Amino acid sequence: MIADPWVFFTIILGLAMAWAIGANDAANSMSTAVGAGAITPKQAVLIAGVLEFTGAYFFGKSVTETIRKGIIDPSRINDPNVLIYGSIAALLGATIWLIIATKYGLPVSTTHSIIGGIVGYGIVYAGTSIVNWSKMAKVVMSWILSPIVGAIFAFLVFKALSKTVLQSKNPIKSAKRWSPFWIGLAFVVIGTMFYIKVLHGKSLVIGFLKFGIPTGVVTFVITSLILRVRFPNVDPYLGAEAIFKRVQVMTSGYVALAHGANDVANAIGPVAAVYTIATMGMAGAKVPVPRWILALGGLGIAIGVATYGYRVMETVGKKITELTNTRGFTIDFSAATVVLIASWLGMPISTTHTVVGAVIGVGLARGIKAINKDIVKDIVISWFVTVPTAGIISAVIFKVLMLIVG
Amino acid sequence: MQVWTKLFAKSPFKPLIKHAEVVVQTVETLEKALDLWAQGNYEEMKKYAIEVDRLEDVADRIKMELRNSVTSKLLMPVQRTDILEYLHMQDKVADAAEDTAKWLLVKKEINVPQEVKDLILKMGRESIKAAKLVYEAIRQMDTVVESGFSDAEIEKEYEIIKQIEDVESKIDGLDTKLMELVLNNNLSWADGLYILNIARTLSNISDKAKDAAERIRIMMNK
Repeated sequence: MIADPWVFFTIILGLAMAWAIGANDAANSMSTAVGAGAITPKQAVLIAGVLEFTGAYFFGKSVTETIRKGIIDPSRINDPNVLIYGSIAALLGATIWLIIATKYGLPVSTTHSIIGGIVGYGIVYAGTSIVNWSKMAKVVMSWILSPIVGAIFAFLVFKALSKTVLQSKNPIKSAKRWSPFWIGLAFVVIGTMFYIKVLHGKSLVIGFLKFGIPTGVVTFVITSLILRVRFPNVDPYLGAEAIFKRVQVMTSGYVALAHGANDVANAIGPVAAVYTIATMGMAGAKVPVPRWILALGGLGIAIGVATYGYRVMETVGKKITELTNTRGFTIDFSAATVVLIASWLGMPISTTHTVVGAVIGVGLARGIKAINKDIVKDIVISWFVTVPTAGIISAVIFKVLMLIVG
Repeated sequence: MQVWTKLFAKSPFKPLIKHAEVVVQTVETLEKALDLWAQGNYEEMKKYAIEVDRLEDVADRIKMELRNSVTSKLLMPVQRTDILEYLHMQDKVADAAEDTAKWLLVKKEINVPQEVKDLILKMGRESIKAAKLVYEAIRQMDTVVESGFSDAEIEKEYEIIKQIEDVESKIDGLDTKLMELVLNNNLSWADGLYILNIARTLSNISDKAKDAAERIRIMMNK
């Protein structure tokens, strides 16, 4: 069925979108770790490439369904060709916007891009009533909420972390005592997040009890033991940084895994839609996504990380010298926790947006030496532009496709 | 270009530390010039005095670059105006050293008692202390930020500021003593004017160091 030119074309587009996700997003998720010097750009590329693929292939299935039918009402579309051209238009719209954003280094949400693309063709085809507006309202809410909540949370975490570890009379002693606590806490979040975001479990309580707590306790014990035996007894701040450096490798690895699991859907959701329709007709809309399409998406992301993301991480590694490991840890930890709580509350929240918010939060807590306010402004503007721009590009392409082939 | 590299602007503290380093060099070079001056070695002394002038230029250039980069576009853990005021004061330390060097250059032959020369040398040595303490103070300020404004590190910073104030009052004392010495020693008006100006510019070094320290104190309270 790949022989079908439309299917073949969408697969190519899906790969392009996956590539753009790898180039833009995956690099963003690892930036704090690379910037803080916890991992080298080479290691980041390797970790991100492998884990993004793993996340996409093994855990990417259920999110893909939302992208396929959550944004617009597919039952209003009777002509299978519309779904095919629409998916192509949405993919192209999102990819073009993502490539532009990546070129200017703007951390925009890939999820928002593809949502924009889908809404764009949906409106052209059936007017505004086809759009699930309550879902759209939530998306818009997430533009505003993600960075604000991320900033507030990171502010508090950094204040607490610096009160307990950095600011004490005897930083070495308190670092020994408190670091395992903070690291354990981070792993409670990682464990719970793994259940919710990667395994797509529904109950936060189960995730918390079965994954979060055990992971956290084990990490707490292991870290305490390691710190008892060997602690870099140098400068107290360097010592604390050295501990958090190792933890950051794990937190960023986790981010890559979760990112692959969630964002692969943005690239291959439309591909899956086209594939099932081309092979099984409109009835096929209910058929689950075939595994090999997930693999393709994962591969696309990994290639994006390796080809473009590599360059991104290299510049990040060279240029951000101001970010220390405790700060990087605070940002990762805060972003992960906020995203977790938001998913639990059923609010769509963008990881990328939350990370940017967290960076500002640490800055406001007097933790980062200088943040460029102008860039913050550019980033926020780019968020508000994402859905409309991807939507307009998609709408134009859809219109053209319908005129030419439809 | 990636956004993360642009989001994190360059820290103003590193160039401030760099600037302080040059200021220390300027004052150290001046001290060498003073030694040669006291020995009456005018030709050698000239080389060092000119070097002081050159180093002051270097400090000026760093100051200009810093001023252009510390704009209101930045979100910083300390107030922008405090940074700029501090930089201004730190730069004045080098300026004062240059003023002394200039005075050293304008007169070849001097006829002052050894006592007066010794006092000037003493003031020179204390000035280096002040400049070095300023360097330490700005480095410590970087650590204060690094520690997330920890009380222990702020305490250390206060300690350095106090030392700067001590040096300043010590130089003030030496300055007064020198004035007495010059005015009661029946020096020629030209020699008197000359020595008193060297003393004035030397005590300026520690005055400005003290002003810089004041600014650091303000930086720590928000």
